[in-house]
Amino acid sequence: MKTRTVEYVVGRNPELGMDGRPVQVPVFPVGVEPELQGERMLINIGPQHPATHGVLRLVLELDGETVVRCIPHIGYLHSSFEKLGEYRTWNQIVPLTDRMDYLAPLIYNCAYAMAVEKLMGIEVTERCKVVRVICMELDRIFSHLLWLGTTAMDIGATTVFLYAFQERERIYSLHESFTGARITTSATRIGGMLADLPEGWTDQLRHFLDTFPETLDEIETLLTNNQIWIGRTKDVGVISAEDAINMGLTGPNLRASGVPYDVRKDRPYYDYDTYDFDVPVGEHGDCYDRYLVRMEEMRQSVRILKQALDRLPDGPINVDDPRVILPPKADVMSDMESMIHHFKVVMEGIKAPPGESWFSVESSKGELGMYVVSDGGSKPVRWRVRGPSFINLSALPKMVEGHLLSDVIAINASLDIVLGEIDR
Amino acid sequence: MGLIQLKGRQERAVQPGIFPGGPAWLTTKLDFVVNWARRNSLWPMPFGTACCAIEMMAAAASKYDIARFGMERMSFSPRQADLLICAGRVTYKMAPVLRRIWDQMPQPKWAIAMGACASSGGVFDVYSMVQGIDTIIPVDVYVPGCPPRPEGLIYGILLVHEKIRGESLTRPELRAEDPERVGKANKLPEVIDQVALPFGNSTSQNRVSGLVSTAAVARPLDRKS
Amino acid sequence: MAERVEEARETPVEGEAVGVGEGAATGSGHPSVDALRERFGSAILHHEVQAGDEHVVFIVPERNVEILGWLKDEPTQAYDFLKDLTAVDYGGGRPLQVVYQLWSMAHRRELRVKAELPLDALEIDSVVGLWAAADWLEREVYDMFGIRFRGHPDLRRILMPDNYEEGHPLRKDFPLRGRFSRAEQTRRALAVSVEDVYIPQELEIVAIGSRQDGTDQSAGALPSTPERAGGSEA
Repeated sequence: MKTRTVEYVVGRNPELGMDGRPVQVPVFPVGVEPELQGERMLINIGPQHPATHGVLRLVLELDGETVVRCIPHIGYLHSSFEKLGEYRTWNQIVPLTDRMDYLAPLIYNCAYAMAVEKLMGIEVTERCKVVRVICMELDRIFSHLLWLGTTAMDIGATTVFLYAFQERERIYSLHESFTGARITTSATRIGGMLADLPEGWTDQLRHFLDTFPETLDEIETLLTNNQIWIGRTKDVGVISAEDAINMGLTGPNLRASGVPYDVRKDRPYYDYDTYDFDVPVGEHGDCYDRYLVRMEEMRQSVRILKQALDRLPDGPINVDDPRVILPPKADVMSDMESMIHHFKVVMEGIKAPPGESWFSVESSKGELGMYVVSDGGSKPVRWRVRGPSFINLSALPKMVEGHLLSDVIAINASLDIVLGEIDR
Repeated sequence: MGLIQLKGRQERAVQPGIFPGGPAWLTTKLDFVVNWARRNSLWPMPFGTACCAIEMMAAAASKYDIARFGMERMSFSPRQADLLICAGRVTYKMAPVLRRIWDQMPQPKWAIAMGACASSGGVFDVYSMVQGIDTIIPVDVYVPGCPPRPEGLIYGILLVHEKIRGESLTRPELRAEDPERVGKANKLPEVIDQVALPFGNSTSQNRVSGLVSTAAVARPLDRKS
Repeated sequence: MAERVEEARETPVEGEAVGVGEGAATGSGHPSVDALRERFGSAILHHEVQAGDEHVVFIVPERNVEILGWLKDEPTQAYDFLKDLTAVDYGGGRPLQVVYQLWSMAHRRELRVKAELPLDALEIDSVVGLWAAADWLEREVYDMFGIRFRGHPDLRRILMPDNYEEGHPLRKDFPLRGRFSRAEQTRRALAVSVEDVYIPQELEIVAIGSRQDGTDQSAGALPSTPERAGGSEA
C-alpha cells in the first residue's frame, strides 16, 4: 500500500531525526476532502473515564482531531465538606480534611490544624513542628508518586505505575505505623498530633529515604530521555507565566512556567527558611517541564526530610494547653478533674476566639489555603478550603486549545488534579 | 443422549431460562463449569470516585495483586465488564451516570459497594450525597471501611466468588432484569427515605456553632431532619 | 464624610479594629491599606487586623472593580494574584461578605478585601476582567450562596447540577440534608435526560456542525480515499 507522507506542522517543534532533518509523520492530508472542513464534533469525556483522574467531565468541541474548545464540568464529587464543617467541632473536622485530597492527606491535616492554631493563637511545640514538616514532605513525595504513576499510565507507560505504587506501599506502611490508617490518616489535632512517633519510625523513614532515590532514578531512565515521552509532553499544554499568574495557577504548574513562587519560600512557616532546599522552576510551561519540576521536587523533599530527621528534637508533641489538649488517658481514668476536663473537651469541643484566619501551605498540588471563621464557639462559622486543583483545572480550557485529542489527556494528567479537592 | 428429564416436570409451564425445571445432575455439572469460568476472571468495572479508588488501585498494584484472580484487566467499557466496583462516594449528580453504567453492563453482572460511602453514605449525610448506592443499583457485596484496606476489597471479591459459586442456570431470576427498571432507582421511595434517616451519632450532629450551649438547635429546619 | 457601616455590621468578629479616619497619624501597619485610604477615602469602610498579622479591608461593594483594579494595576501595589474569592454567611439575617484574598508576587504581600452585601441585594460586579481565576471562583460563590456577579460571562452552577432547585447550599438557612426528601432527591437525580446534561453552548456545537454544509453529517461519513494513513498519536 502506498502511503503519501506530508510534513504537517501541528503547532509544535518537530523532532529532529537521526539524520538531522525533521521527522516526517504520515498524516491524513487536510486539503483533500473539502466538504469535511469546518465539521465540528462534540465529544464527551467522563465523568466515568479511566484517564480523567477522578470524576471529571470534559466536553470537547473538535475540529477533526484538534480541540477548538473545552468545557470542563465538575461537581460529581461535591461532598459539601464546607457545609459539613459548620456542624463539626474543630477537631472533628480533621478526618474530613483527609478525604478532600486523599493523595496527600497529611498535608491537609497539617494545613487545617495550622490555620486553626493561628486563629486560636496557639504555638505548637518544636517537636510537633518538625514532625509536621516530616509529614508534609513525606506526603508531597506520596502525592507526586501517584501523579507519576497515573500520568505515565495515561500516556502509555504502565510499568512506571507499578514502580510508583510499590514505593507508595512503603509510605503507606509509614502512615499506618504512625496514624493507624493508610490513607485517611487524621494525624493532627489542634495543638499537636494524635500521638507521638512510634519507636523505630524514624529508622524506617531513613531506610525509605536511602532507597527511594534509586527507584526514582530507575523511573527517570524510563521516561526522561524517552523520545515517546518527550514527543507526547514537550511543547504540549504550554501556558505562559503571565497567564498562569492571572489564572491563579500554583504549585508545579506555575513553577514550570517560570514563576518562582513557592509558599515555603515566600511565606515560610515552621522554619522552612532554615531548611536547605531548592525549588525547581521550569522554563517552557509545557507538560515536560511540569514533569521535570515534580521529579526534582521529590528529590528536594528527600533532602528536606533528611534534614528534618537530623534536627528532630525531643520533647512533648502536644502543646501544654488544657484548653485544647486532652489529658493523658491514665490520668483520665484515675483522677476526677482530668475526667471532667476530658469530658468537656470532647463533648463540648474546644472553643476558638471570634475572628478569622487564613493559612496557606505549599501542598503537592499547589497553594492550599485554609480560611476559618469563628464566632467564639466550638464549631466554625465558615471553613473555606482554597483547593489548588480547583483553580488549576480552570486553566485547562486555555491549555488545550489547538491541541490534539490525545494531548488533552496528557495535559489533564500533567495538571495533577484531585477531584476531592476540586469538588469539596 | 438428551437431557435427563425428571418425572412430573413436563406438565409444568415452560419457564424462561435455559433449563426449565429444577436442577439435575447434568445441570449441576454445567453450573459448576459455568460458575467456575465466571468467577475466575471477573473483569472489574472500576467506578472509582474518591479515596476508595486509590485503595482499589493499590489492590491492582503489585503488593495486593488482583491479577491472581484474573481481574487485572480493568474494563472501563461497561459492555465488557462483569463486576462493578463502586469505590468512593457517589453524589446525586453522579447517580444517573452510575445507573447508566450499571444498565449498560450485560448480564451476568455483580456489584460491590466498596467503602462506607458507597454502602450507606459514610461520613457524608449531606444534601448532595447518595446515602448508599443500593438505592440506585442492586448491590451484591458491601465492603465496609473508610477506605477498606486492599485486603478488605479482596475479601469482598472472594465473597462475590462465593456468591457466584452458589448460582445456577436453572434459576433465571438471578440474572433477570426488568427493562422497565432501566434508569430508575433500585428501591422504592419510602424505602429510600427510611434507609437514609440519620442514625447513631448523626442525630446529634446537626447543631451549628452555638456560642454557648450544646443543646440549642440554631437552625429550626434542621430539627426534624 | 466617612461612611460608617458599623451599625449594620453586627458580625461578632473581633480583631484589632482600626477605625476610619485615624489612619493619618498612626500607620495601619500595611502599606496598601494606607495607600487605599489615601486614594479612595470613603470607599474604604473599615480596616482590621485578624489573627495577629492578617490585614482585612472592608470596601463599598459598588466600587469593587475600581478598587481591586487599582490594587492590581498600580505598580506600588501590584496584586496580580488572586488567591481566593469566597463568601461568608454569618447567619441571623446579617449581610453576606464577599472575600477577596490577594497576593502581590512582586512585593510579596497579602491583603484581604471584603465587601458586604445585604441579603436583599446579593449582587456585585464581577472581577473576571481583572483576574481570570475569578471565573470559576465566582461561579462557585453563586452556586453556594446565590450572589450574582454582574458581567460574568457564564454565571451558572458549578458544583451542583444545573437544574438544582433546592437553593444555595452554604447559606445558613439551608439545612444540612437539603430541602427535599432523599427519595425526591434520588428521583430528580435519575430523571435527567441527555439535554439536561449538556449546556446550550455545547448543544450549539452539534447544531452548527450539522448546519455548516448541506451534506448529511449523520453517522460521521468517512472519506474513502486510499491515501488516508494513520494519525500522529504516539
